[in-house]
Amino acid sequence: MAQSPLIELDDVGKVFITGALRHEVLKHISLKIEEGEYLALMGPSGSGKSTLLNILGCLDVPSGGHYRLEGREIASRADAELARVRNQFFGFVFQSFNLLGRYTVEENVALPMVYRGLARRERLQRARDLLARVGLKDFTRHLPSELSGGMQQRVAIARALVNSPKVLFADEPTGNLDSKTGQEIISLFGELSAEGTTLVVVTHDPRVAEHARRVLTLIDGEIVGDKRNGEAA
Amino acid sequence: MNPFEHLRIAMDALAANKLRSFLTMLGVIIGVASVIMLVAIGEGAKTYIRAELMGIGTNLLIIVPGKTETSGMGHMPSGVQKLTLTDMRALEKRASLIPVMTPVVVSNAPVKLGNRLRNVQIIGTDQNFEAVRNLHVEIGSFISKADVDGGRRVAVIGRTVKKELFGESNPLGRTVKIGETKFRVIGIMEKKGMTLGQDIDDHVFIPVETAQEIFDEDGLTNILAQVINESAIERAKEQIRGVLIDRHAGEEDFTIVSQQAMLSTMQTILGTFTYVLGGIASISLLVGGIGIMNIMLVSVRERTREIGLRKAIGAAQRDILLQFIIESVVLSMVGGLIGILIGAGIAYGAKAIFPVLPIDVSTWSVLTAFIFAFMVGAFFGIYPASKAARLNPIEALRYE
Repeated sequence: MAQSPLIELDDVGKVFITGALRHEVLKHISLKIEEGEYLALMGPSGSGKSTLLNILGCLDVPSGGHYRLEGREIASRADAELARVRNQFFGFVFQSFNLLGRYTVEENVALPMVYRGLARRERLQRARDLLARVGLKDFTRHLPSELSGGMQQRVAIARALVNSPKVLFADEPTGNLDSKTGQEIISLFGELSAEGTTLVVVTHDPRVAEHARRVLTLIDGEIVGDKRNGEAA
Repeated sequence: MNPFEHLRIAMDALAANKLRSFLTMLGVIIGVASVIMLVAIGEGAKTYIRAELMGIGTNLLIIVPGKTETSGMGHMPSGVQKLTLTDMRALEKRASLIPVMTPVVVSNAPVKLGNRLRNVQIIGTDQNFEAVRNLHVEIGSFISKADVDGGRRVAVIGRTVKKELFGESNPLGRTVKIGETKFRVIGIMEKKGMTLGQDIDDHVFIPVETAQEIFDEDGLTNILAQVINESAIERAKEQIRGVLIDRHAGEEDFTIVSQQAMLSTMQTILGTFTYVLGGIASISLLVGGIGIMNIMLVSVRERTREIGLRKAIGAAQRDILLQFIIESVVLSMVGGLIGILIGAGIAYGAKAIFPVLPIDVSTWSVLTAFIFAFMVGAFFGIYPASKAARLNPIEALRYE
C-alpha cells in the first residue's frame, strides 16, 4: 500500500452564503500534497486561492468533501481540534506580517510554543535558534517596529517554523515588500524547500512561481492548471 | 496551557496601555474604597455608641412617666399620674432585684455668681446617683442622704460650670444663686466630656427634694434603677411593673427603657445608614464593572488581528476566552486592591482626626471587597471575552 499523501483533498467545495446570495468559491477540488513539495497557488483575484489555502491550513472548514491529513480524515470541526492541528502541523506567513508590536522579536517568534505548552526559557532558546536561521540573530530583543519590512517578514517566517511544522503556508508573502527584499524572501523559501520543508504559497509573484516545483492555477474556484517545474511528475 | 501563561499575556496587554488600564480601574477603585471606608467608619460609630451607652452605668433601667408605645414614634404620654419619690420608696422596699436606684429631676435654670451668669441643666437627685450613673466627684463631696432628707441647699457643679463661674479660684464653700435661691457649693465633678450629646460637665447637681421645691414640681423626670445582674433585667422589669401598676390604680402609665433597647434602636438606625451607603458603593462598583466591560469591548475590537493571529498559530477559543477574562479580572482585582488601600487609608486618617471613634478596617470587609472585585471582573469580562473567542480567524486576520 502506498504511503498516504501529507494532505489530500477529495471533492472539496466551499460555499459562502451572505444573506440571499450563495457564492460558490471552490468547486470539486481534489488535490494531493506530498511531503517536501513546494507548491505555488496562482490565479486572478477572486479565484478562490486564498480560500483553498485557508482550508488546507485548517483555518477554515470545507462545505463539502473530504480532508485527510497524513491519511486521517479531519472530520471534526471542533475548534480545539483544529487549533491543535494548526499549532502542531502548520505554520503561517501572511502578506502583512502580523507581528505583535508590544512583544520583542524573540517573543513574537516564541508565541506558537505558548499554545503548545513549552516553558518560557525553552521557547526563547528555540526562538533565538530560528532567528539565527533566518539571519536575524542580532535583533532578538528588538521590537518589530524597529525592523524593516523584509526583516519583519523573516521574523514571521521564523515564527511559522518554530513548532517544526509539516507544512509552511504563505499567503502573498512578498505582496508588501519591494522587489529586492521580496527576492530575499523567495531565496529563503528556496533554501527551506531544499532543506525539506513543505511549502504552499499563494502568490501573484511570477518569481515565486519560477522557484516553486509545482504550480496550481485556479480560476473561478476550479483548478485549471497543475504544472510541475523541473523534475517531471 | 498553563494558567500563568494566560496571566502573563493579560499583564503584558494591560502594561502596554498603562493610563487606560488605570482609568478603567478607577470605577472599581472608588467603589471599593468607599465600601471599605464606610464600613470601617460605620462599625467604629457603632462600637463608639455602644461604649457610650454602656458608660452611663451597668444594667440600667430607666423608668419614665407616661406610656410610650414600643412601635410608636417619640414620646406620647397619655396624661396620667406622675412618677414620684413615694413611687421610688415603694420600689426600694419591694423590688428585690434592684438594690440601687436614684431619682432624677431635670430642669434648666440660670446659675449666678456675682455678675457672672450661666444657663445650665440642673439635676435634682440623691446620694446614689454617683454609683448608678458611674459619675464621680473629684473635689469635695457629692450630695449625701442627710442633704436630701434635710432639703439642704447644696450644689455639686460640673467642670465647665466651675471654670466659667469661678475661673481658677476654689468654689468649695462659696455660694451661687440658682434662679433666686442661694446654694452652697460642696463638690466638683470629674471631667467627663460629651456623652450621647450631653455635656455632663455643664451640669449642676442638687438634692432631689430641694429641686422639686424650687422648681415647684412634685413629679420626677425619671428613675434610674440598677439591676443586680444582666440576666435579672427582664424579671426586674416585671417587679417594677408590678409595684407601680399596683400604686397607680392598676394602670401602666409609665415606660421602662433598658440600655439594651436604646442600644438596639441606635444600632438599627446606624445599620440602615450603613446599608444605604453600602448600596451607593455597590452602584459605583457596578458602574466600574460596566466601565471595564466597555474598555474590554474596545480592546477586543482593537486587537482583532492579534486574536486572528493567535488563532492561526494554535490558540483555541478557550485560550482566547481565558486571556480576555483574566485581563478583566486582573483589572478589577488590581483596582480592588488599590481601593482597599485608599479606603483603609481614609478610614485610619479619620481615626487620626477623631480619636474617640474606634475605627478599624475589618478583615471581612477587605475579603468581601476582594471577592466582589473578582466577581465584577469575571462577570463583566465574560461578554467581551466570548466575543473575542468566537471571532472567525480568517475575518479577524483581514480586519483593518
